[in-house]
Amino acid sequence: MAGEVILEVESLNKAFGGLQATHDVDYEMMTGELSAIIGPNGAGKSTFFNLLTGYHTADSGKIFFKGINITHWPPHKITRLGIARAFQVSNIYPRLTTYENVRQAILAQQKKTINLFTPASRLARRETTELLEITGLSEQSDMVAGNLSQGDKKRLELAIALGSRPELLFLDEPTAGMSGEETHDTMELVKRLNREIGLTILFTEHDMSVVFGYARRLTVLHQGAVIAEGTPEEVRDNEEAQRVYLGEEA
Amino acid sequence: MKRYWWLGLVFIVALILPFVIGEFWVHVAVEILILGLFAVSFNMIFGYMGQLSFGHAAYYGVGAYATGLLMVKASVPLPICLPASMIAAGICALIFGYFCVRLTGIYFAILTLAFGQLMYYIIFQWYSFTGGDDGLQGIIPPDFLFSATAYYYFTLFVVAAALIVIWYISESPFGYTMRTIRENPDRTRFIGINVKRYMLINFVIAGMFAGLAGGLWGPFNRSIAPDLCNWHQSGTPVFMTVIGGPLGFFGPMVGSVIYTFLMAFVTGFTEYWPLTIGLVIIFVVLFMPGGVLGFFEERVKIIRARALEVGAGESSEKENS
Repeated sequence: MAGEVILEVESLNKAFGGLQATHDVDYEMMTGELSAIIGPNGAGKSTFFNLLTGYHTADSGKIFFKGINITHWPPHKITRLGIARAFQVSNIYPRLTTYENVRQAILAQQKKTINLFTPASRLARRETTELLEITGLSEQSDMVAGNLSQGDKKRLELAIALGSRPELLFLDEPTAGMSGEETHDTMELVKRLNREIGLTILFTEHDMSVVFGYARRLTVLHQGAVIAEGTPEEVRDNEEAQRVYLGEEA
Repeated sequence: MKRYWWLGLVFIVALILPFVIGEFWVHVAVEILILGLFAVSFNMIFGYMGQLSFGHAAYYGVGAYATGLLMVKASVPLPICLPASMIAAGICALIFGYFCVRLTGIYFAILTLAFGQLMYYIIFQWYSFTGGDDGLQGIIPPDFLFSATAYYYFTLFVVAAALIVIWYISESPFGYTMRTIRENPDRTRFIGINVKRYMLINFVIAGMFAGLAGGLWGPFNRSIAPDLCNWHQSGTPVFMTVIGGPLGFFGPMVGSVIYTFLMAFVTGFTEYWPLTIGLVIIFVVLFMPGGVLGFFEERVKIIRARALEVGAGESSEKENS
């Protein structure tokens, strides 16, 4: 499953005013990985995702996806090339139904959004139903998305990201606001997506049991810089990582 | 399709209307249709895309002048003039829209207003071509459309056809993309949509249908003037849409019926039309925030929900007994 390099980041930098949110970050991912980025609040995890997906543009450094330099690409082009993301705060279409939310992502992926004359209700039915089933949202299909529970909104967030049929998926705290059971279900789904269809996944997470339970490789960010990297065991034993982050909780 | 039985009913009423009402009201009905189409095209930007265009009259006016000039100066038949109006307005919307879609919110509104006024002054000043503030007279429809009733039927069919096309667009993947841009433009970028480009395409389509409405206006009124492009005129679809309701497809058309009918009625006995419409708008905004259509849709939902509750209550009682 593992094979070639899918993502390569070279000395990436981003500052907001005087704050260095991303500091000389080098990063690499292989196809088929399931990895996590951890770090205290404000360590630069979300900024890192924002840089990789074109939400922010880097001050310097390079980003390669499948060997293509995407450093200054706009978000929609990066998405079309195969990177999708789910946001930390659920970022959905509150006045559309759950079904319509997901269908729209699929239609965009199928390049059918420019179609002016076929009713959208006749398109992408099978794909949408399937994806709602996979993410456990079938029963909420006709609900207006703004009325979903917090956990369901996060699941919808994931479903929209999957609707883009990415090769690389970024999940920014995918279980934030979820109950224990929901967290378990969601992470099992993430694991299955990784194992069964070989989707390469990078996530951030606050819950250490989730991180150590699912990620096969960890990267620790602190003040925008990578301070430790390796298997969960290696990171657990790393002194610097313990000091800045893990130590806080122990 | 069962939900839309009332549309067929409205259309039949529209067909027999000229036999029931006098000529004055047939004129009013034509106005309702033309301004209704104008307002529906405006709502493609306001209701569906979520941006307030305060210069939509520019495309209405360009459409009116395209048909007017072609008919008066080149004697081109009306059925050819109308598509030409759409193309002219579409090109104008493409040029102005290119800049407008870079902005959102109040800045979008201001820039559309500025371009609208620019168009107004161009038409106003370009005396040799447009006739300036003298306007353009003698836009006479062909013989078979000369009577008020004939022109009414012609307008009815053109507007109905245009509404069907806009309806299809609003239900298409493109129409839903507009809703997603309204709801959450950021998320829409991250599902792979070039938001600015889609906004521009929508802006151009909306401009084209405003142009079609403008094209219908000249031969109806027999003359046109630069005022058709002025900001007053841009305000009309805004008022109509607020009155009728921006979230339903037919809201602007309902708004046009109320606005235009009221105007014809009220100006018959008082000059206080602006005061009247001002009061109507205040009333709607305060007591029917979703517009008249939104208000009644809400009622229907509540009545249906009650009916369901009652029905459920009865059946459970039966089970108990």
